[in-house]
Amino acid sequence: MIPFDLAEPKSLSEAIKLLDPDDATVRPIAGGTALMLMMKAGVFRPQKLVSLRKIESKYSGIVASHDGLRIGAMTTLGVIERSAEVRKHAPVITRTMITLSNVRVRNVATVGGALAHGDPHMDLPPVLMALGATITIVGPKGERSLALEDLFSGYYETTLEKNELIAEVHVPSQGPKKAAYMKVTTGSADDWPALGVAVVMEADGKAIKSARVVVSAATTKATRMKSAEAALAGKTVDDKVLAQAGDAAAEDAEILADVRGSVPYKRELIRVYVRRAVRAAIDGQGAH
Amino acid sequence: MAKITQDAAKVGAQVGRSVPRLEGRDKVTGRAEYTHTMRVPGMLHAKLFRSTVAHGRIKSVDTSAAKKVPGVVAVITIDDVRKVIPDPYYGPAFHDQPILADGKVRFVGEPVAAVLSFDPHIADEAVQLITAEYEELPAVFDEVDALTSKVYVHDVLKPAGTFADLKHLKNAKDTNMALDYRLRRGDFDKAYAAAAHKFEHEFKTQKVLHLPFEPHATIADYKDTGVTLHTASQGPSFVRTEIARLLGWQENKVRIKVPYLGSGYGGKLYIKLEALALALSMIARRPVKVALTFEELFYQITKHPCTFRIKSGVDKDGKIVARKCEVYWNGGAYADIGPRVTQKSGLTASGPYDIDNVWIDSYALYTNVTPSGALRGFGVPQLVWAYESHTDMMARELKLDPVEFRRKNIMREGGEHTTTHILKDAACEKAMDTVLERMNWSKPFDKGKGVIRRGRGFGVAIKAVITPTTSVAIVNVSADGSVALYCGTVDMGQGSDTAMAQMVGEVLNIQAESVRVVQRDTDVTPYDMGTLGSRSLFHMGHAVKRAAEDAREKLKALAREVGEPEGSNIPIRELFVKRYGMQAGNVIGSGIFKPDYIPPAPGTGLSKNVTAFWMVSSAGAEVSVDTETGHVKIDKLVNVVDCGKPINPRIVETQISGGATMQLGFTMFEKMHLDGGQVTNASLADYKIPGFHDTPTVMENVALEVFQSNGPFGAKGVGEVATFCVSPAIANAIDDAVGVRLTELPLNPEAVYRAIRAKAGKPLEDE
Repeated sequence: MIPFDLAEPKSLSEAIKLLDPDDATVRPIAGGTALMLMMKAGVFRPQKLVSLRKIESKYSGIVASHDGLRIGAMTTLGVIERSAEVRKHAPVITRTMITLSNVRVRNVATVGGALAHGDPHMDLPPVLMALGATITIVGPKGERSLALEDLFSGYYETTLEKNELIAEVHVPSQGPKKAAYMKVTTGSADDWPALGVAVVMEADGKAIKSARVVVSAATTKATRMKSAEAALAGKTVDDKVLAQAGDAAAEDAEILADVRGSVPYKRELIRVYVRRAVRAAIDGQGAH
Repeated sequence: MAKITQDAAKVGAQVGRSVPRLEGRDKVTGRAEYTHTMRVPGMLHAKLFRSTVAHGRIKSVDTSAAKKVPGVVAVITIDDVRKVIPDPYYGPAFHDQPILADGKVRFVGEPVAAVLSFDPHIADEAVQLITAEYEELPAVFDEVDALTSKVYVHDVLKPAGTFADLKHLKNAKDTNMALDYRLRRGDFDKAYAAAAHKFEHEFKTQKVLHLPFEPHATIADYKDTGVTLHTASQGPSFVRTEIARLLGWQENKVRIKVPYLGSGYGGKLYIKLEALALALSMIARRPVKVALTFEELFYQITKHPCTFRIKSGVDKDGKIVARKCEVYWNGGAYADIGPRVTQKSGLTASGPYDIDNVWIDSYALYTNVTPSGALRGFGVPQLVWAYESHTDMMARELKLDPVEFRRKNIMREGGEHTTTHILKDAACEKAMDTVLERMNWSKPFDKGKGVIRRGRGFGVAIKAVITPTTSVAIVNVSADGSVALYCGTVDMGQGSDTAMAQMVGEVLNIQAESVRVVQRDTDVTPYDMGTLGSRSLFHMGHAVKRAAEDAREKLKALAREVGEPEGSNIPIRELFVKRYGMQAGNVIGSGIFKPDYIPPAPGTGLSKNVTAFWMVSSAGAEVSVDTETGHVKIDKLVNVVDCGKPINPRIVETQISGGATMQLGFTMFEKMHLDGGQVTNASLADYKIPGFHDTPTVMENVALEVFQSNGPFGAKGVGEVATFCVSPAIANAIDDAVGVRLTELPLNPEAVYRAIRAKAGKPLEDE
């Protein structure tokens, strides 16, 4: 690693001006937990990093209203983990946080960075996707809003332009919905997940009205499992319905092999854990 | 805390007291110095350009672009090294490792060139600009293939001359075999042929890493009048000898300084970065630091992968009458200490069992991967994994209780070990019984139901300490009565400084906390063979005890000289004043220890005195297996070791829990993934070690107090012994839970799940 320029703009708009859509060696840095790994490995060698740490403080806070949470992109995962508002409006996020990486990472990594990195192994994106979160994106041409599920376009790929930044995440209140996230590791307990499954459902007891099922880590990107959602919608949960949902997700998922497991094995994990996540949500046992 | 204070007041009772580590405060407050963070004025940093091919002839190395980077002082290849060190090969068993790749590369990650700069980041950047062209050669990766392969990692073998059993390999060609150890007892073939039951199994272990939390680091400061090396080494004396040999100098011109180590586990033994740092400093005429990153650890040294083929013949009464062990050690591209691992573990390959007819062949093999060396057990954990799995598999097939089957065959005090050495102070059966008692083995066990099935298993093991080896210590009593200890044992976190100070305190009747343990520096600390193989507390312990006793006798003589009555309790400082007229003078005690030993007979490997002491342990595990995913939860892990008299019970307990937890990682998930010689997970993002959430729900760590009759204060080593039985105990428990047998480590969820599916007749497809 050779010395590089570090810009520390005081505002989001200034930061956007410093980004160069045509120069891959200029990148924004938030918490830096992912970028530093890439820099250490030599796969990313920056000319200039645009630090977002000194932009307006409103991007580092959580505001709750009747329709949900607005979380500034620079809010650290640790702050989200400890937020009473988050616990009230979206308890599945709070429960997910304690299994996410480790306390050192959570105290530094930001929600905006976790989304913009496009890494399919993150725990938070599938949960936010299942909750139906939207993001506000700011670029030179102004602001736009995007459903989170439309952010991820491939393996470490997003639909963000190189000079766009995520400003805010809007998370609808969980309300009476039942939700669960299950992280499955095949190495140490604090390893990246081999599989993440997030489920958010409208349900009356065991009768499911609608469901959002998101699978991550085993797949090229966090992905809604629409066939599994269809298998659950309008059904009353029993072993057969659960099995159908698990099978549907297992058949649909685009799975990648890596050191954490082969494709056939991860397929079996999906089959089992979609089932378990739905059951956990129905039973009110949110996270694993 | 109150208890410790109270104990501390009991002068003369230093041994057996849980003295807090002498260096603990310095470490937790960040004051302790480590080589990796050390700076020397005028120092250059070296960064290494490494091979990307597993086996190849170097056609060219282009360093021109790297040399042009502003701030680069020099870019160095073997051609430059040869100008200062004409024969630039090093190693403890073979002089087979070049300081930088010489004509050929033999593994992915082998250093080919070094860049020097005052700024490590500039050196790093310049390394990226070096290119090399290779003529790729066929490579051999598997240890069993390596024995018969026509691909040879080395053209000619070059034994270092240190070890008698390697001499016959001098100038050997067309072989990958760096040692063929054998033991023959009785007549295996005849007994096996006649046995009522015959069993044959093969077990494998994977390539895993030491992962010290201080990566390897050395600073060399060469001057024509002498050289100083600051190095994170477990064996300063050996480093001095090898550096002196490379220079053609007397040892007294070579100074090796070793501060505390951020752990070692066998990965910092013998010679690692020291020869390279020396060469770079000679060329640059400046101090040079070579310090690895965590990612580079994957290309320095690993544990030996191993294939173990084991055959046993059992008679109609359940007595094992014959055993054949064929052990293949994957040594990687350079022998390092692999031949010693092969031999020293080889002699206990048949386990803690009384078997009349034993045949052991143990082969050290060169392959085209990162070199392998000692890792917390010198090969024994790989062997125990095999023979204790094998024991359970036989008991299961014979429908014998695994406890009774072992009891029928286990070695007992006063009996003969396989080597014919009479077993003494080796509590094999007691260790096993203590595990069983702690696990309530005789009580009904909840086997689980539905998706989660439970099981339990255990194992028992024995190891012979590496023998014969030598340690020397000096105890210096100053005129104010304060005491300093000079010994070469490296405290790398195992608490040796504290234990040695306790022994000095015990002899001299002073508090351990008041003893100053001098930092390792070969200019002042005397010879020690190395901090390895759980040898230090016993060997250096004896030397320290003798040195302290020598000082005590000299103090008594001094008292007589100044006319003090016998048994006088005159303070030491007054003794010196009486003798020298003021606060002046020293009393120097010294001690040296080397145990008795009879070399194994050529051909049979038998000896009546093959080891200074035996290490014994047993472990038991209770597991819950998720039959839908293969995840295994360790509900309980009991570790029992015979470590003689614990000098410091608290430190002993942490050695047991640390060893067992480390082996738990090697058992459950740690693995270097290799694809055509390339490591595909060479970073801590993808190579995981156990954290707090991976520890068993219940873990019990027990030190059996079995007095070691020839040990210092009845003590012996404990650094490795808790690693031995963890793997087979868990595999045996998994079999008990779900009826599947895994014969290859790690026992990760996918491996367990695949075995469950295969047993159900619905095997999971490969990819």
